[in-house]
Amino acid sequence: MKWDIPLGEEIHPGNLGCQGCGGALAMRLALKALGPDTVAVIPACCWSIIDGAFPVHALKVPVFHTAFETAAVAASGIKAAKDVQGKATTVIAWAGDGGTFDIGIQALSGAAERNEDIIYACYDNEAYMNTGIQRSSSTPSGTWTTTTPDERPESRPKKNIMEIMAAHRIPYAATCTPAYPDDMLRKFRKAKSIKGTRFLHILSVCPPGWKMPSDRAIEVMRLAVQSRVFPLYEVEDGLAYTMSLWPTEPVPPEDYFRVQGRFRPLFEDPARLERIKAFVDQQWEILVRRHRRTHPDEAGIPAGEAAAR
Amino acid sequence: MPQAMDQRATPPPREYTDGSTAIVRAALEAGCNFFAGYPITPASPILTMMMREMPRVGGIAVQGEDEIASIGMCIGAVMAGARALTATSGPGISLYSENLGLAVMGEIPLVVVDVQRLGPATGGATTVGQGDVQFVRWGTSGGYPIIALAPSSVPECYHLTMKAFDLAERFRCPVFLLTDKELNMTMATVALDAYRPVDVRPRPRAEEPGRPYRYTPAEDVPPLRHYGAGETVRFTGSTHDERAFITKHPPTVDALNRHLAAKIEEHRDEIEMAAADLDPRAETLVVSYGVTAGAAREAVRRSRAGGAPLSSVVLQTLWPVPEATLRRAATGVRRVLVPELNLGQYRREVERVLPGMDVSGLNRVDGEMITPEQILEAVR
Repeated sequence: MKWDIPLGEEIHPGNLGCQGCGGALAMRLALKALGPDTVAVIPACCWSIIDGAFPVHALKVPVFHTAFETAAVAASGIKAAKDVQGKATTVIAWAGDGGTFDIGIQALSGAAERNEDIIYACYDNEAYMNTGIQRSSSTPSGTWTTTTPDERPESRPKKNIMEIMAAHRIPYAATCTPAYPDDMLRKFRKAKSIKGTRFLHILSVCPPGWKMPSDRAIEVMRLAVQSRVFPLYEVEDGLAYTMSLWPTEPVPPEDYFRVQGRFRPLFEDPARLERIKAFVDQQWEILVRRHRRTHPDEAGIPAGEAAAR
Repeated sequence: MPQAMDQRATPPPREYTDGSTAIVRAALEAGCNFFAGYPITPASPILTMMMREMPRVGGIAVQGEDEIASIGMCIGAVMAGARALTATSGPGISLYSENLGLAVMGEIPLVVVDVQRLGPATGGATTVGQGDVQFVRWGTSGGYPIIALAPSSVPECYHLTMKAFDLAERFRCPVFLLTDKELNMTMATVALDAYRPVDVRPRPRAEEPGRPYRYTPAEDVPPLRHYGAGETVRFTGSTHDERAFITKHPPTVDALNRHLAAKIEEHRDEIEMAAADLDPRAETLVVSYGVTAGAAREAVRRSRAGGAPLSSVVLQTLWPVPEATLRRAATGVRRVLVPELNLGQYRREVERVLPGMDVSGLNRVDGEMITPEQILEAVR
């Protein structure tokens, strides 16, 4: 494999992210793909802190720190003005899961429906980490947070934001994680080359919120992918699905869950754990079916996956 | 152990706590059985405590997908018979705005905690401020009367929360509890006997069906009708008659709008609360509220020890303005000082109530608190 991650940085060394922050690493990689002619629109989220206060501003690109519910539309406004000026500046809305799945989804849906020419990246750490680990609609079933305490862990499955975005028939949507930097850069480069609303869903580890050691941050994001809890794939025009990575390691979802203290309630409820594992399998099979439908003649599907219903 | 300590009476039991805990405890004791909120510093501790505690008393607490959803759920819950609380900070109050108007128009008893932080916009999420004083007064379209209470200590967070529930039931309107980041999130030692519970009246039952908005005279407060209580209840944010039918009939519309104001304006004596600590020798009166009152109390104490005594009024009710108390307290003083963590929002009211008086402000908007020394310096 050719290693083509640029050496240039659009982010200064040092930021206010916690140790092992997936969001900080994701931003670093995303900007390597997007380059210096980029404006970042950041609503209330960890990154509104990570970027730092004067004089330790982390990002080299301009930042617009906007209101919580307006990442997609503030980005749309900036892009419109750039269009009027005839400039090709890339405008990226960079929001957490709360600002995307919850309070920001109205603006996101509106922007996607209008096919605004923006990249919208959600770095998803699966709860409101910046305000103290409250659940969001991205929090997976069986998770502890401060608002889903041990006696009543999260009962609902994680909202499927990719299907919501695909349903808008936007030109490009993809999942990625900084644990697979080559895949992530490829997707951001591809997104940059497309016109219209592009959505990138980034699984982004949060060691303090996930209750796990920070030195296992990359490993846990790899486990999420290899266990098929967080598949890597692309959706073009809302209908054409392409799997980006076929897991090669036989990793059961428990291996991903067990590393993280937030999933402790799951191991006290074996029936729920079994349901979640079945759910992971179902979701995976749906994606494989869609991939096969998009690529009926592809030979590269691993034998076990090809047999999937 | 020295003899003196040995013989000392056992001190009253104390606890180490904060305003958020006091608010949650008071709300549950006031019969609150529905809470909805959305994460926002510095109001999140109320949300997390409610999510943990509410199910233990058989109530329901919900984390909404945003502030609009949170207050919307509260209004629905009240209309179906619940006693509801929501809590947020300045940016969240911005999103509450439309539904606050709905609650005013529909005459919904609801307690709204605004844990103020430095604004505008994101401002300082973890920084104290008192910049929402006029915002809560004028926080929705059309103009409306509102009740806002401002605790200045952890025990006041407790009993003013209960009082807020009682006033909400009494006047069928949203009642603000205006606190701030320091009151809610800074731990304090509190003697347990400092908590003074307030009786919260039960919701009156309607006797005559079909007239959910009948008020004669204008300052009357008709009983709330619940959905599912045996009659067909209507509710609308539009101008309406006494049966909640939409109307543009000018005399009816006029009566409605005057009623919404009169029910509060004509009962100010039931709402206005302030703690006056007056010294007949004082030349200066300090008018304070909220977290700033702590510095004011200490400045007053030192001023008396120093021989140049101050008078003090600590406002517990901000809206409606306790005008009579202010006039009485200002009798005989030469000047009034209003310390506040904004650029003089309540000083405007004091100037309005005390025309001709030398009223000055002591204002900080740098995220730091006003100190007793600054107050003593300002009155020198």
